[in-house]
Amino acid sequence: METERLFGYSDTVNELLARYGVKFGIYKNNVFKEQLFPFDMIPRVIEKQEFAFLEKGLKQRVLALNEFIKDIYGDKKIVRDGIVPEEFIYAGSGYLAQCEGVMPPKGIYSHISGIDLVQGKDKQWYILEDNLRIPSGASYPMIARELCRRSTPITFEKNAIEDNRNYAKLLRRTMDHVNTGGHTVILSPGRYNAAYFEHSYLAEKTGAHLVTGSELVVENDHLYFIDYSGKKEPVGAVYRRISDEYLDPMNFNEESVIGIPHIYDIYRKGNVALLNAPGNGVADDKGIYYFVPKMIQYYLGEEAVLQNAPTYLPYYKEDMDYVLEHFDSLVLKDVAEAGGYGIVFGNKLTREEKEHFLALLKEQPRRFIAQEVIDFLDIDIYENGEVTPRKADLRAFVLMADEPMVWKSGLTRFSRNPDSFIVNSSQGGGFKDTWVMAE
Amino acid sequence: MRTLQFQYHMQLTFDFPACDHHFTLRCRPFHDIRQRILEERVEIYPKHYSSEEVDSYGNKCIYGIARTEHDHFSVDVTGEAQVCAENYLPALPAHRIGMYRYQTALTKAGLGLESFYRDLRKNASANVVEHVKDLMDGLYGKFQYEPGVTGVNTTAEEAFCRGSGVCQDYAHILLALCRLERIPCRYIAGMLMGEGATHAWIEVSDGKSWIPMDPTHNRMVDDTYIAISRGRDARDCTINQGVFTGGGSQKQEIRVVVNDK
Repeated sequence: METERLFGYSDTVNELLARYGVKFGIYKNNVFKEQLFPFDMIPRVIEKQEFAFLEKGLKQRVLALNEFIKDIYGDKKIVRDGIVPEEFIYAGSGYLAQCEGVMPPKGIYSHISGIDLVQGKDKQWYILEDNLRIPSGASYPMIARELCRRSTPITFEKNAIEDNRNYAKLLRRTMDHVNTGGHTVILSPGRYNAAYFEHSYLAEKTGAHLVTGSELVVENDHLYFIDYSGKKEPVGAVYRRISDEYLDPMNFNEESVIGIPHIYDIYRKGNVALLNAPGNGVADDKGIYYFVPKMIQYYLGEEAVLQNAPTYLPYYKEDMDYVLEHFDSLVLKDVAEAGGYGIVFGNKLTREEKEHFLALLKEQPRRFIAQEVIDFLDIDIYENGEVTPRKADLRAFVLMADEPMVWKSGLTRFSRNPDSFIVNSSQGGGFKDTWVMAE
Repeated sequence: MRTLQFQYHMQLTFDFPACDHHFTLRCRPFHDIRQRILEERVEIYPKHYSSEEVDSYGNKCIYGIARTEHDHFSVDVTGEAQVCAENYLPALPAHRIGMYRYQTALTKAGLGLESFYRDLRKNASANVVEHVKDLMDGLYGKFQYEPGVTGVNTTAEEAFCRGSGVCQDYAHILLALCRLERIPCRYIAGMLMGEGATHAWIEVSDGKSWIPMDPTHNRMVDDTYIAISRGRDARDCTINQGVFTGGGSQKQEIRVVVNDK
């Protein structure tokens, strides 16, 4: 593998990324701050065979998750058959009663899924979490690859790497597959959103219109895009990058000013496709994560190819006993929190903190999951002229058109500090390109 | 069986013209085995476009837009209903009823309701309906009717802790108590014989049917009640919901008249 040539371009590529606006917005103490998303030149490399294995497991997982969402907003067979307890559905934050009995075009709920994985020191891959709402991040390795190719074309001639610039094509195919007739738009909350760069970049690459809520209007049970001249053009698919609660003030949060009134009503009638479907949060709850291998078995009749990190559900008595006994070696996660928050390492607590936490756990067992701490495989980054190890994860993107498709690349994120296990980009840290080898 | 004539009148008055007024109205009384709608007229003014749909709770919604500037927005629903209080609506199948067993943001019980519930629980009856009647009775003895002290966003816990409120609060608190033991129950918005505002009560499922009960009056619902909308809580049942541009401050006037024919 030849990657050394890339090192010399680290500053150039990062400067260009900054100029293109590749930034990540974060809220810290309620203040919105935009920060650069540092790019590391050393790619994560995944061999062809290894990726083929991941691909198989990812397709299987997303197919099962999609079946699960369809089932939950329909007949709920998996609850009736006792595989998933009812309260993990209704008492979770992701379930939306408004979605009961609503079938999206072609029965697809999770069009774009971002599945986070980590690799242990034993080379074993584990699923960390499923992101089925509006997972972001595909644009970062796309543009980084573009800039790296421009910097040192020879590196990409010498190495047989799968070209990741086809993401736009996969996304377009995904949007076209469910389009109910009309234009395709990418709906953004606007330029102050954390992922605005991504919204504009994906619009440019897929040829979709980049719009905000005020440019879309519902009339006669159809959705229209109002163009620059005031003309109304029908819209058949909306890749919306705003969350369910802000999507439609008439059906979700009434206070929303970035949504489109009545878009959900016409979606219910099948007159427009929304990507991803509202209500998907019911399947990417940390509590539901525990059940995904069981879902794969239940809906597909197959064993899960990819494993979850070993997870315990204190809701079940035997799991609670295990958690209490092995508390110091486990990591506990609050199912209601995201973005690397609400995570507690058993061995990092003081005595009082531990007592306080255990009381909370016993009182609200459904609120937490416990996991074995995975010994991550470190990967190298190039920092200040030196190669040094960091913890990293991989967000793989799975797109669902007439069949599930796994993008042969992905977003590799690494922790900011050498000793941190949390690699979520909303807590700092940087990213890498992910090379999937073609040979 | 009883035949009732009803009039529902709602008017929003803006002190500054409103436009691009999107509305969703859950204002059409149910036509089912409990109440047969013999005659119905719905008038919405102003209105530039409207359409209909049935939501996840079974409400017949009218949604649309009043685009141009207007100082008033009014909804009038008038008609005749034949009510047969002995006909209970059939319970829902397991996969449709689950959502009615769990608390929502408005019904979520806190420390106050939980401790009240523990006291009431001591003399629990085995029969679901009898049991909820006991809960309702306990609530009636504890909670005062007082208009103007609670609002549309007041939760069951907040209302309970202050000790008084209106029909919406009575309904939310009773729903919260039922859901503490996972009894499926739902909020009903509707009209009551006489002249006044809209009313709210609840329905409890005993496994076979939905049994309506009125916690504000501490009684079973009879043939003087007409149901308009239903859901997990008051928010799901909003009869008139809207967003608009402009408008300044607004005043809402609601008048309901129900008489024997």
